[in-house]
Amino acid sequence: MKIVVAYKWAADPQEATVAADGQVDFSRAKSAVSDYDAVAITVARHLGDTHGADVVGLTVGGPEVATGLATKAALSRGLDALMVVADPALTAAGSTGTAQALATALAGVDDIAVLITGDSSVDVGAKLVPAVVGGLLGWPVLTEVTAVAIEPGALVVERAVSGGTEQLRIDGPAVLAVATDAATVKAPGMKDVLAAAKKPVQQLPADPVVADGTLRSTARLSGPARRGIQISTDDPAAAAAELVSALRADGVLIGGQQ
Amino acid sequence: MAPLTDEQRLVRDSVREFADAEVAPLAAQIDIEHRPPLETVPKLAELGLLGMIVPAEYGGSGTDTLSYIIAIEELARACATTAVMVEAHTSLATWPILAFGTAQQRDRWLPALATGEKLGAFALTEPGAGTDAGAVATTAVREGEEYVLNGQKVFITGGGYAEVFIVIARTSHEGAPHKGLSAFIVERDTPGFTVGEGERKLGIRASSTPPLMFSDVRIPAGALLGNEGDGFKIAMATLDGGRTGIAAQAVGIAQGALEASIAYAKQRVQFGKPIGAQQAIQWMLADMSTDIEAGRQLTYLAAGLEDSGEPFGEAAARAKLFCGQMASRVTGMAIQIHGGNGYTEAYPVERAYRDAKITEIYEGTNEVQRMIIAKSLLR
Repeated sequence: MKIVVAYKWAADPQEATVAADGQVDFSRAKSAVSDYDAVAITVARHLGDTHGADVVGLTVGGPEVATGLATKAALSRGLDALMVVADPALTAAGSTGTAQALATALAGVDDIAVLITGDSSVDVGAKLVPAVVGGLLGWPVLTEVTAVAIEPGALVVERAVSGGTEQLRIDGPAVLAVATDAATVKAPGMKDVLAAAKKPVQQLPADPVVADGTLRSTARLSGPARRGIQISTDDPAAAAAELVSALRADGVLIGGQQ
Repeated sequence: MAPLTDEQRLVRDSVREFADAEVAPLAAQIDIEHRPPLETVPKLAELGLLGMIVPAEYGGSGTDTLSYIIAIEELARACATTAVMVEAHTSLATWPILAFGTAQQRDRWLPALATGEKLGAFALTEPGAGTDAGAVATTAVREGEEYVLNGQKVFITGGGYAEVFIVIARTSHEGAPHKGLSAFIVERDTPGFTVGEGERKLGIRASSTPPLMFSDVRIPAGALLGNEGDGFKIAMATLDGGRTGIAAQAVGIAQGALEASIAYAKQRVQFGKPIGAQQAIQWMLADMSTDIEAGRQLTYLAAGLEDSGEPFGEAAARAKLFCGQMASRVTGMAIQIHGGNGYTEAYPVERAYRDAKITEIYEGTNEVQRMIIAKSLLR
């Protein structure tokens, strides 16, 4: 039985710079396992330990995802093995192309109990890939997953929903996108770092990449107009009421008492 | 210097991730409270940072020296005290047992030290024996199958919580003073061994540095590390490696101050623009960065020589001499960039400035490093 984790080797937005004209420059940003995918690996590792299953990573992207640093970085987070689809054509792949490449790779893997992904990628954040992969494979897709257990022929999944949680029993395999707080991520230990070089990495061929479209132009998004609202705090109760009123007027607060 | 290996880069990333999450948030508070962050010790152990240089067969991580040095640098970037806790435990207490211990001593102590079950400390300095290490007055007298220790040590890093001490004591008054010294492994709970109150210090305030008192402390003869008379040699060899560690601590302190200064220079507005747009600030940042990188390369060179089995004492002395002074220079400039804000406890550069000074003093002052380097040059 295999638990597969799809992860992205992504440039860290915290290291990107924003120019005065609003252009975001990722050229000096270091790449790493996308933050939320590290949560997915942690959830998968726990699941694998509980059920005695292998936890296998899967990533697709440009040649940089297959470097020693990239593969060891992922393996040091608790994966048992890795499958990599590295192709220059995947460097700029969008959600559709990425999902297509993931689905193609997964189609050749036996005995998958579940595919676990992060909530979204740290650099793009579209939250599309899990759904498209599930659609391509014909597997059920659940998002905001906070806990998983494996039962014979089925998965028991807990999800965060508005106002609480829900538990579902679904037939596997399935695609589960874990919530950002589904597990606490710990830094890889020194032994994990050294052990990463000894774990297997399988390079898979890339199929022709499905294009998401061709970028023609970008435009800067203008923020909300400043309306010069000032609220005096001389009377705290009145100030609070005025603040609530202003937030309702902006549509930030909805529902409840007026 | 050769580029860092993948593993060394991942060690840096991992320790930085850990230090940002677990070490940095405590740094200011433990400094104010003058208390070591003992709550961090289990986390350091879990990550494998307390046994990095210890081979896997003894439960350690088994990394190379350069990886260990990078880890110290990254810890110091977040908190100089946490860095020296790990450095003293590793370089000064664990390493001498690894290098000079018998098979029995290694089997007994290394697993406990590598996993953080016990923390270690190194006791050389005395009220009358600091830079003049050969002047140690604490005595160890052989009585049958025991040694009896009497004397006092001061400024012992980790003394407040360590359970295993490498103690340098005099076993002979014959010949040159330094040839009469021996090294011992002493357990904290040995009768007659007491630990005093630590001094309140200018910097690394959270580091425990109390005096130790030995009053007819009886230890088994098997606690002797190496042979009688090897104490000075063991102490100097231990400090050679320790100096690379302190150089790394200095690099980390300076790097943290530089990063704080860059962030401040971007957000602090004067004369209608961020102060980072002023050439005066840009030049300071450029000088700080260059200074740090020079120190980093000297430090990595010393660690690399140790990893390749080549003599590294002179390189370690050069790294420590340069990096200690560099950290003081860089943190001073960091305060200058921060202006009045930098002079307050509200900004981390104030602590960095105080913490940096000790790297010019402990594990061999600047003057001792110059002696070592000059002696090698004039040999």
